[in-house]
Amino acid sequence: MAPAELLTELARRLVDEPEAVRVEQTVRDDDIVLRLHVAPADIGKVIGRKGRIARALRALVRASAGRMRQRVLLEIVE
Amino acid sequence: MTGEVEVEATGETVGEAKWIALRELERRSPGLDKAAVQFEVVSEGERGLLGVGYAPARVIASVEAAEAVLSEDPAHPESHTEGSLAAEARDLVGLIARGIGVPCAVRVSEDEATVLVECTGRELGSLIGKHGQTIDAVQYLVNAIVARSHGDEGRKDVVVDAAGYRERRRVTLEALALQAAERALAERSAVALESMTAVERKVVHLRLKEHPGIVTTSEGTEPNRHVVVALAGA
Repeated sequence: MAPAELLTELARRLVDEPEAVRVEQTVRDDDIVLRLHVAPADIGKVIGRKGRIARALRALVRASAGRMRQRVLLEIVE
Repeated sequence: MTGEVEVEATGETVGEAKWIALRELERRSPGLDKAAVQFEVVSEGERGLLGVGYAPARVIASVEAAEAVLSEDPAHPESHTEGSLAAEARDLVGLIARGIGVPCAVRVSEDEATVLVECTGRELGSLIGKHGQTIDAVQYLVNAIVARSHGDEGRKDVVVDAAGYRERRRVTLEALALQAAERALAERSAVALESMTAVERKVVHLRLKEHPGIVTTSEGTEPNRHVVVALAGA
């Protein structure tokens, strides 16, 4: 499973509008950037109190990219 | 006891690993029905040459808890059925382990307040992560997701463990906590521990909660938040 797939699966389970979840993969300065799009009302749900959900998602994205040469970054977008 | 009883064993050959696993299952569940035991061969092993490239054979033996022992816990017949929260937690941990690329067997057990999800397998290092930060992230997300789907009703804490990591780490952290307390008392000054995750800091706070002459606090911001062990009333 690719990091983007895992991120999509997890984000869908965290939000009220799972059909609005979309992960866009781009490359920037040799890093892979995963842009997580959710419905505007769901932004808080993927960030969490004190950013803890976002931090946990980043940790898992990093872990799932463990075997890749490039770093994988996570950005949360409306 | 609920769900499956499961053990993993290694041996020179698959047959030997199976035999060791079966003996361990019998030790845990006396009166075991051997016919109900299922084996999963994780690795056939490598014989290697002169000890180079040798890898033991690995098997996981499992048996349904209800079949394992003929009559256990008659007071709680419902405890053999896995709750929906436990089932969701198990599926989520399985999903994440696949996402990270760590093959593992997932088993759950639960009591009134807690669901324990344990992963067994080889090379669980990347599921645990440095200072357990990956396994803590898994645990945090699983709790957030099951809290959403189950609300406050029937709410249980989910603890996610891999390869006995939590117990090993708890022993280490408690030893560190006691050392810090002794040093603080001997030097009459506060001792700062290295940065830890929230789960780890809690272990330290709890261990020193009733330690005479000592108070603990958490200071700094993530990811550098750490426990400070200080003299009480200082």
